[in-house]
Amino acid sequence: MSSAVTVRNLVKVYEGGVKALNGINLDVDQGSIFSLIGPNGAGKTTLMRILTTQFKPTSGEAYVFGLNVVKHGDQVRKLISYVPQEISVWTDVSGYENLLIYAKIYRLPSSERRKAVEEALENMGLTEFRNSLVNTYSGGMIRRLEIASALMTKPKILFLDEPTIGLDPSARKAIWEKLISFKKDYGVTVFFNTHYMDETEHYSDEVAIINRGAIVKSGTVKELEQSLGGEVIHLNLNTSSLKGLLKRVRELNGVREVVFNDSEIMVIVNDAETTLPSIMEAARVEEVAVKRVSMTKPSLDDVFLKYAGAKLESGGRVVEVKQLRGAIKRG
Amino acid sequence: MLDFLRHIFVMLELELRRVKHDRLELYTRVVQPILWITVFGPAMSGVRGIPTGGIPYTDYITPGVLIQSTTFTSIFFGLIMVWERETGILKRLYVTPTSRYATVIGRSLSAGVRAIAQALIIIPVALLIGVKFISNVLYLISAFLIIFFASGGFASLSILIASFVKTRERFMGIGGALTFPLFFVSNALYPVKMMPPILQRFATFNPLHYTVDAVRSLLITGEFSNLPIDVAAIIIFDVAVFSLATASFGKIIE
Repeated sequence: MSSAVTVRNLVKVYEGGVKALNGINLDVDQGSIFSLIGPNGAGKTTLMRILTTQFKPTSGEAYVFGLNVVKHGDQVRKLISYVPQEISVWTDVSGYENLLIYAKIYRLPSSERRKAVEEALENMGLTEFRNSLVNTYSGGMIRRLEIASALMTKPKILFLDEPTIGLDPSARKAIWEKLISFKKDYGVTVFFNTHYMDETEHYSDEVAIINRGAIVKSGTVKELEQSLGGEVIHLNLNTSSLKGLLKRVRELNGVREVVFNDSEIMVIVNDAETTLPSIMEAARVEEVAVKRVSMTKPSLDDVFLKYAGAKLESGGRVVEVKQLRGAIKRG
Repeated sequence: MLDFLRHIFVMLELELRRVKHDRLELYTRVVQPILWITVFGPAMSGVRGIPTGGIPYTDYITPGVLIQSTTFTSIFFGLIMVWERETGILKRLYVTPTSRYATVIGRSLSAGVRAIAQALIIIPVALLIGVKFISNVLYLISAFLIIFFASGGFASLSILIASFVKTRERFMGIGGALTFPLFFVSNALYPVKMMPPILQRFATFNPLHYTVDAVRSLLITGEFSNLPIDVAAIIIFDVAVFSLATASFGKIIE
């Protein structure tokens, strides 16, 4: 299968010296749903904006369907659709008018235009609200309208930057169902950034974890989970002075890896049942009170914690986006 | 080239649809110029010291305040671009397979759409209070074309400013600091001959000055000796700001 996106040694240093991308290498298969997941500031949006030809990388190369995004930007733009994280529709005209304007910008022939717009509205369940001004729409409806206008032009690849940020679970689910069915019908490749682990887990064929401007791990969800091997023990502790305990646990037999985050430790072990007692003993010796213990098969969260070294904490960002969306609606 | 023009027309259509949905904004924009011609004009008519060339003072300032109001609207048009930058609209437009020149020129000329809509309200009001316009449809259409393209130029200027300042608060400040000198250092309210020589020199670089002059000759005086210079000045202004604004458009996005 040939690649929809190929990235080689991509580096982006912003004016002022902030290094957003630090040598990215990436391959995305055609027709797959690809998820780029990482903490805030990891470089997700920067990578997507380079792939969508909005600005140039400092060094390295990126290709979309074999076309260099810097040299052949014009041709790349004909193949792609892009939905930025922020609101990207005009809120002071109706949903129908938004799609009509986009249909014209993409030069859909006038004979097909009306049909394409109606179809896009229908697909995203917006027919009923076609003539309402967008500033009366809910956040989920605005997102659906944005995705409708992105899909209306039948792109070969769809770039979505945090497609469901700030939406409630049912709106998120609705959007994903539409995207999946569209992918089935038209074979579009979907490249999305997210920090919702569950979306990556449920909907993506391939995942890459990005941290501090570099891809730290990639593969299918299953591959990533299996890469940890064994089982995972989570310990919730009463303290965050863990040094002694960490050292002890690392030295135990059957322990593969120990990752900690605040007052929580994740221990990857060969066999949880045999190792747990020794871990508890170590905690007792170090006089660390254990609040809660759980044993699981590795999940994508654990993979993320291991490779990105942090949990996905995104509360602040979501609030910010919600506020922006609210402000826009108030206009 | 055809695609280029088509894209510009799509941008104009968008603006027309916006104006249609929000007429209130349009009405509030015409309050000020109407006050100028209904209050300021008649009040100042008593002062005989302003050499208007035999035209009633209110008639003299009508093109001036008309252009003032359309120019103000256009200058603050850049605010929409700052706003669209904060949202994702510009990013998306930037990623469409259309020429970025066409996007910038199209968005600039959108201000012309608003300007024409304003003129279509102000001129009838002026007629009602007794301003005498030359009754010639061709002249009227020419005046509208001049207003349209001059407004596009001012909007482009504001896009250019927007690409440097990037925040609304700063933009408001600069926009405000720009509009009044443009208005006062022109022949909008009085002939430039009345001004000190240094200000007269400034007026020769003021695109608003040429716009008012052209529109006044087409609508009120019928005196066309300056018209070629006026039109040439507006064309030069437009070409300059369209190019500069397009060149800096990428900056707005980053």
